[in-house]
Amino acid sequence: MNFDIGLVFESIPKMLVGLGLTLELLILSSFIGLVLAVITLLMRISGRWFLVAPAVTYIYIFRGTPILVQIFVIYFGFPQFEFVRESVFWPFLREPFWCCILALSLNAGAYVSEILRGGMLGVDKGILEAASALGISKTQSFIYITSPIAIRLSLPAYSNDIISMTKATALASTVTLLDMTGVARTIVAQTFAPYEIFLSVAIIYMIMAWMIQKGFGMAEKRMSRYLKPAAG
Amino acid sequence: MSELVGWADDYFWGAMVVLRVFAVSLVLAVVIGLIGSAMKLSGSRVAQTIANAYTVVFRGTPELLVLLIVYFGAAVTLTAIGQSFDASVKFIDIPPFWAGAFAIALIVGAYMTETFRGAFLGVDPGHVEAARALGLSKFQTFVYVRIPQMWRLALPNFGNHMLSLMKDTALISVIGVEEIVFVAKIATPVTLKPFTMYFIVALIYLCITTVITLAVMAMEKYANKHLVSSR
Repeated sequence: MNFDIGLVFESIPKMLVGLGLTLELLILSSFIGLVLAVITLLMRISGRWFLVAPAVTYIYIFRGTPILVQIFVIYFGFPQFEFVRESVFWPFLREPFWCCILALSLNAGAYVSEILRGGMLGVDKGILEAASALGISKTQSFIYITSPIAIRLSLPAYSNDIISMTKATALASTVTLLDMTGVARTIVAQTFAPYEIFLSVAIIYMIMAWMIQKGFGMAEKRMSRYLKPAAG
Repeated sequence: MSELVGWADDYFWGAMVVLRVFAVSLVLAVVIGLIGSAMKLSGSRVAQTIANAYTVVFRGTPELLVLLIVYFGAAVTLTAIGQSFDASVKFIDIPPFWAGAFAIALIVGAYMTETFRGAFLGVDPGHVEAARALGLSKFQTFVYVRIPQMWRLALPNFGNHMLSLMKDTALISVIGVEEIVFVAKIATPVTLKPFTMYFIVALIYLCITTVITLAVMAMEKYANKHLVSSR
């Protein structure tokens, strides 16, 4: 058994193509997921049972099942129904790429809405009381007071969620997509050199996770700059 | 739904495999987490570096990739070792069940390390000093003073890690362990009802995660019952 460093360099161009797809999956689904999360959050805090109940059920189902199973239900499962195959969405649902986007976004939406809710609960009640005492309406205080503080409070948890999303995009390789993991798996199937290929891909994922963590750390620092004067 | 009848026993045994993987990797992950957090909190620079590298690596790598590295990597290594003894050996691999359980334990163990570290830091240092002053050995202090106080603090995060561990077990179908996702995969071409087959898998996972959530809630209630002042 020997470590074939040449093979690593040979496969780098293919892996970079895979990296493109991984980033595409990550960016698209975290954006759609964020939109879904905000909608779910608004439903959840609306106080009307016919909005709260669907939101809670959605969060419960998507947080309680593995993402792999969600992808499989959407990709393999939906074509079972005639109405899905005849609907306007079929050109999308036929593609493994859009199935993955759908599953990952729905999953992210469920998790992120809980994170944002956690941030909202962390907002000091006194600030909101002060706002209403000053005659600011509920909507205004949500937009101008609750949201900025809640976003800052939920940033650390949100950055963790983005890292989990990055890791979850690797599951796209199970439905024939050639993302970074998918590319690695095809190369390993041809060369049977698991250490070289899988470890180099793992390093790329780790760099991505590190960059996300640093990026969010900087954003958090900037958003909290009014809290404490810089030490020294 | 009638097509499920013939597959009920397969799903049942698949679910048993899921629970077995869950149990094995949970025990392993707790052991790894305790060792890892002890290393992080120890004074030794070497132990700290190793533990830090371990958590960084396993928290930044996709679960699927870790699983593939453990399973195929072990196969390649074992085959090479086998061939050095006996050239006629073609291929050796470890059972996918154990590769899967071990890989999942390594991943969740990294998260457990962080959780346990935080919880150990939450134990009042005065209690530890008191125990040492009373003549308890370091090991006794660990077992009788630190752990009983730390598990209560670790519980909320521990519950979340149990849930993600449970959901990670779905991945091991990729390396051919016959658990419920695998059952759905082989049932689909026979019944031609993929949605029903995979939906049942989702329902089974939902049931198990619900039970875990309720169990953690009960444990938290039990652990915090001495804190009447909080109500």
